[in-house]
Amino acid sequence: MQITLKVNGQARSIDADPDMPLLWALRDFLGLKGAKYGCGIAACGACTVQVNGRAMRSCVVPLKSVANAEIRSIEGLGGQHPVQQAWLEDQVPQCGYCQTGQIMQAVALLEQNPNPTREEIRAGMEGVLCRCGTYPRIEAAVRRAADAMTARKGS
Amino acid sequence: MLTRREFVLGSGALAVAVSVPLRSDAAVEAGVGERFVTAYLEIAADGRVTLHSPTTEMGQGTHTGHAVIIADELGVDLERVGVVTAEPADPFRRNGQMGSGGSWGVRYWYQPLRKASAQAREVLIAAAAAQWSVPAAECVLEHGEVVHAKSQRRAGIGSLAAAAAALPLPAEPALRPKSELRYTGRKVPRVDLAPKVRGEPVFASDVERPGMVYACAVLSPVFGGELERFERDSVDPVPGVLDVVAVPGGAAVVATHTWAAMRGAEALKIRFKPTAHEALDSAAISRQMRAALDPEVAAIEARRDGDWAAVAKAAKRVVSADYEVPYLSHAPMEPWNCIVEIGGDGVVHIWAPVQTQDRNRTAAAAAAGVPPEKVRLHTTLLGGGFGRRLGSDGIAAAVVTARAVNKPVKFFWRREEEFGQGWYRPAQVARMEAALDAEGRVTGLRVRTAGPALSASFSPQGLPAGQLDGSSVQTIRESRYKPSAFLVEWARVDQPVPMAPWRSVGATQNGYFLESFVDEVARAANRDPYELRRELLSHDPRALKVIETAAKAADWGQPLPAGRARGMAFVESYGSLCAEVAEVSLRDGKPVVHRVVCALDCGSIVLADGVRSQVEGGIVQGLSATMEEAVRIAQGRAADRNFDTYPLLRITQSPERIETIIIESGETMGGVGEPPLPPIAPAVVNALVALTGKPIRDLPLSKHRFA
Repeated sequence: MQITLKVNGQARSIDADPDMPLLWALRDFLGLKGAKYGCGIAACGACTVQVNGRAMRSCVVPLKSVANAEIRSIEGLGGQHPVQQAWLEDQVPQCGYCQTGQIMQAVALLEQNPNPTREEIRAGMEGVLCRCGTYPRIEAAVRRAADAMTARKGS
Repeated sequence: MLTRREFVLGSGALAVAVSVPLRSDAAVEAGVGERFVTAYLEIAADGRVTLHSPTTEMGQGTHTGHAVIIADELGVDLERVGVVTAEPADPFRRNGQMGSGGSWGVRYWYQPLRKASAQAREVLIAAAAAQWSVPAAECVLEHGEVVHAKSQRRAGIGSLAAAAAALPLPAEPALRPKSELRYTGRKVPRVDLAPKVRGEPVFASDVERPGMVYACAVLSPVFGGELERFERDSVDPVPGVLDVVAVPGGAAVVATHTWAAMRGAEALKIRFKPTAHEALDSAAISRQMRAALDPEVAAIEARRDGDWAAVAKAAKRVVSADYEVPYLSHAPMEPWNCIVEIGGDGVVHIWAPVQTQDRNRTAAAAAAGVPPEKVRLHTTLLGGGFGRRLGSDGIAAAVVTARAVNKPVKFFWRREEEFGQGWYRPAQVARMEAALDAEGRVTGLRVRTAGPALSASFSPQGLPAGQLDGSSVQTIRESRYKPSAFLVEWARVDQPVPMAPWRSVGATQNGYFLESFVDEVARAANRDPYELRRELLSHDPRALKVIETAAKAADWGQPLPAGRARGMAFVESYGSLCAEVAEVSLRDGKPVVHRVVCALDCGSIVLADGVRSQVEGGIVQGLSATMEEAVRIAQGRAADRNFDTYPLLRITQSPERIETIIIESGETMGGVGEPPLPPIAPAVVNALVALTGKPIRDLPLSKHRFA
């Protein structure tokens, strides 16, 4: 079935099973490899993308449910997003496999709550697992990004 | 993702050749040997240096460590150094095998890479000196240029490559003095992070090849089970499915894309041959291991200092406790996958996230029916390793599938296979005994561990009966504690569950056993556990400094708010000494770790921030295992097959503060990736016991109820 997706501001049409999770449309049909497969049951968050601004686990989101939605993957951040810059400043990733999901979760968190407390950062990032144990740096980088984005808005 | 040949051809600028005195087999095969200054360093005409690293980059940072070593010794800017993992060849092997494990990445390769860089520097300088007719001794190599200050001449190393080609490498080049090292020991950005943060395709699972198909594995859930038969037409209703292929351990459903292959795998009707262990479960394994703690059961001696029996007899009292830990899954975030493409020339190209290049190349070659030289193994960045990618259990099925369908194949496991196929950190038990004199001093220790032999499962050659499995007594056998008697034994209890080294290997369980027991002994003797450790290490200034550094930084002995307690542990592994102090409380009956202080003596360091990153990661991963991780076995298989029932630590459970103190003692460089992990379990357990007064003798903590 022909399905049109709006990904990173562009309409992209693919011929796919409407029950197929969004993750596989991004990875196998659209060549966007940033979102990762980790569990297939929305338990690890490696596949996190934004759907209409909300962080969603793309491994369980069927295509038919996002046909008219605004989908943003890490490729849509442009590489210079304050969250990505903070991730480099704090040298967050180790293996890096979960980090695109972490970054997309952080972007959604900061769009909803530009100045989160430490507890809010932790609660907001809880759904994305990191096996390498980069949590202390994730927390620091979200704080750094929040400060940078607030400063930018204020200036 | 490019092959080396494509990489070189694509760079264009590599028309200038450099000499090849130490070139690798792989380079020769690839026809690019002339680009190498040494086996490790490839220099482009524009002066960019590509390091062919002997190590797998799986997040531990060795590629950056190696880039720093060569940037410093050669004299180039770090930004001009790129790193790829080499293909198997002699210069990249340690003890005859190419692979990454045992925290060897920086400490082993530090000197060979420095030497190779110094050799390259000397021939590049010699080439410039000859061109300018000046003494080589008057030239220096800095920022990627050879400079002759007197005549104010300079030349980029890329432009000198051709001339350097004619020169022999010096056997013993001079190494730069420490004062000339710009990056070593300082904070530098990791070379692999920018692409990861941009979401670029750096993992094997991101690789695409023209005409590629997707193969989802359906493997026996029972350990070691083999395929009986499958019904090929059971997958016919699934659109996109192309074929089903019998592979070692089961079948692979081949389809036009991932989702179709997964759906086909769910639809496939498949039967596996019965095994001898269909009823095996965790309780039976535990019973068998605990039965082997009986002193009447035969055991292999691993350490005998003094006369335990005499010391125990003379003791005022003997304290004893039994401990147990479960199987653990490595659970790297990237489930196993690889891409296999068999070329028209019969060469088998594989892109794979592996920690052991030779082992995997050999396994792939056997499956393909070709000699190993016909396999080109392109090691990608790994989405986590932790020891799980030391094995070669996933590669043969991929090669078999590619041969059967005659197309490039992306072969993958679902998370359920990643959890279910085994290769776990072994379950193990221990009986710990300590003899105390009237003053509460430890006069003797006796340790018996019992469990399956890691090396019997993991080593291709197995472990003959009667031989010691080193990891089953790791860190206890080598413990720096020196009571007048110290007896260590191990009883082998084989199980059909496959096992592999798990980050820090035997030090994970044995560090917990010994260090939690030291606290139990201290309590029994009514002594401060830190003071008891100081007494046990009083002969050893280096170890004393490590525990004293941690204790001081963690305010050991200072009052804490009500409901909080500290615990300490000291574990040596992989050439480094590590002490940690954890500060914990209970919230809603669950442990909360507020603060961890880590003192690590790894001799000397290359990456300042890299060491801190590994300390933090080791503590978090170790805490994850301590709090919640256990692979439960039922009906001969893993009952836990995804993150819903095998929970990893989440950010909300991560320590609120981790403080790292690096001690550069100047002793032989030690490992960093593993040593920070083992102390966290006993440090946290000891803090909880200090808080509650109740001993904790098995993990994970989620099994225990706290008031």
